Amino acid sequence: MGIIKKLPIYSEKIPGGGIVTTSVEQILNFAQAKSLWYLLFGTACCAIELMCTGASRYDFDRLGMIFRASPRQSDLIIAAGTITKKMAPRLRTLYDQMAEPRYVIAMGGCTIKGGPFYYDSYSVEKGIEHIIPVDVFIPGCPPRPESLLEGCLTLQKQIQQRKLADWQEK
Amino acid sequence: MTNEELKSYIETNYTSLLTHNEAGKYDLLFEVDAVNLVTVCEKLKNDPELLFDYFCNLSGADTTEKFEAIYNLGSIKKKIRIDIKVVLPHENPVIDSVQTVWPAANWYEREMWELYGIHINNHDNLTRFLLHDEWDEGYPMRKDWDAPDFIRFPDL
Amino acid sequence: MTDLRTEEFDINMGPHHPSTHGVCRLLLTMDGEKVVKVVPYIGYLHRAIEKICENRTYAMCIPILDRFEYVTAMSCNYVFSLAAERLSGIEVPERAEYLRVIMLELNRIASHLIFFGTTAMDIGALTPFLYALREREYIMDLFEMTCGQRLTYNYIRVGGVSKDIPEKFIPQCKVTISTITEKVEEYKRLLNKNPIWKMRTIGIGKLDADLAIAYGVSGPILRASGIDYDLRRDDPYSIYDRFDFNIPVYHNGDVFDRYMLRLDEIQESCKIVAQALEGIEEGPIRAKVSPNFKPAAGETYTRIENSRG
Ligand code: SF4
Repeated sequence: MGIIKKLPIYSEKIPGGGIVTTSVEQILNFAQAKSLWYLLFGTACCAIELMCTGASRYDFDRLGMIFRASPRQSDLIIAAGTITKKMAPRLRTLYDQMAEPRYVIAMGGCTIKGGPFYYDSYSVEKGIEHIIPVDVFIPGCPPRPESLLEGCLTLQKQIQQRKLADWQEK
Repeated sequence: MTNEELKSYIETNYTSLLTHNEAGKYDLLFEVDAVNLVTVCEKLKNDPELLFDYFCNLSGADTTEKFEAIYNLGSIKKKIRIDIKVVLPHENPVIDSVQTVWPAANWYEREMWELYGIHINNHDNLTRFLLHDEWDEGYPMRKDWDAPDFIRFPDL
Repeated sequence: MTDLRTEEFDINMGPHHPSTHGVCRLLLTMDGEKVVKVVPYIGYLHRAIEKICENRTYAMCIPILDRFEYVTAMSCNYVFSLAAERLSGIEVPERAEYLRVIMLELNRIASHLIFFGTTAMDIGALTPFLYALREREYIMDLFEMTCGQRLTYNYIRVGGVSKDIPEKFIPQCKVTISTITEKVEEYKRLLNKNPIWKMRTIGIGKLDADLAIAYGVSGPILRASGIDYDLRRDDPYSIYDRFDFNIPVYHNGDVFDRYMLRLDEIQESCKIVAQALEGIEEGPIRAKVSPNFKPAAGETYTRIENSRG
């Protein structure tokens, strides 16, 4: 029953069954936040940490996050790694191919402002924010798995606070 | 074969082609004229005493007055290694391809052409390689290269 | 069925593809399930590291080089430091050499574990991935307690290493390597007799010795093609000549041999680490090198045996 208690619902037993009251907004947000399937989009060093986070010790799956290889099936891009000028149009295409609602986590210094490649690099995009809209930034080079988990939890909180009206507009 | 023996062997057998250049204790660096490059490479590869069959690396360098192409060669059977340097003028640098000798040179040469603007003669596929397809800002590894969104590291 | 008409077709794979960690794009010409021709397009991760390093001091280059080869960052640190040391004739203290060898070999194991896990995952077996990354975390723990980082270490510096190992490093390292040596046997039991794994690896991607040399292939792939060439023995650097280890060589040059070779190499690396842990003695860990030092002008080319060639 533990999980039922955490759900944003009000339930009451009546003879022969029970009644559950909740708002559509809450249950939709809840469902969305707890099943964020992410697109495997690792381009560089940060991807190795993303893999570690997905593997045994840190175990992404317990947040309801499973990797998907296709943008059509995923809700979230974790942009892990340097985005070069050659890669940038592809990132945009992948983002466009995803179904709404979609979210973006920018993992690592490179995706925030070019990271260690800000100076003197002729081929690295200085941040991905001007390519796709970003919801959560995770600094670090590379961020530890714990920070990535924290970033995902932040995103889940953001999603749960969303109003139905907000995503109608989108 | 030790480095000393290798040096004296090359100095006796390749007198007209290679000139020795002082390098570190661990390396042997020889200079060769651009016109002789392919002949020398073929000789080095087929010489039964040397058998340089392994192409380790090719690097370019821009010293602002001239360009340099440095070939790092190795021999798997004899377990020796040498470097060969070709000095090119800053205007119109052109060099012959060595991919007939070592196919491995293909990509390195493409890279050198793309980043330094050193033209490679007889290369079978001199097309865009590392930079994105619409790149038209010149040769980025040259020292005098600049672009609007290129931010230099501040002087310390 | 004889008049069934077949034809070749082209598939574009990448640049975003689940099995391309470092990104590349392949244009494949397929004949049924067989790939008959590949045109590779690379450069999606060309980050201009050479240009960046042109403008910085030697000490500032090392963290950039970590990002250059992120699966075995130690060896990139090392090869750069080695070049600078050879140019300027810096003598590295004994203890630092031992620490370097320990770290290089641990990193080689970590890299091979990534190979093992991801290859198996891409071929269709998810379990090895979880196993391999579990063992890799033990090595990450060791690195973390030494230099505070999990992936980009900046540990091997010109003239030595940045920090000494903490006290509990040696006992924990011994436990780690004995665990890993055992686990490698388990990996072999897990996959070697698996018919699907065998079908998808044996005889696939064959590279014969002459072709490998002509195209400058190096490292484990070269040795899996039957060429006994390892720079740790053939062009010795650091103190590798003091250790007793074998260099595994396989002869078929297919995916299966490369996989077996890497697993064997993990065990050999464990041996080297064990010997180094026995031999290490107290002493300074870094020669005196000023942070802004510049070696004498000159050129050098150093090469070491990296886990990826
Ligand atoms: S932020 Fe650092 S670790 Fe991550 S991709 Fe960029 S350079 Fe690599």
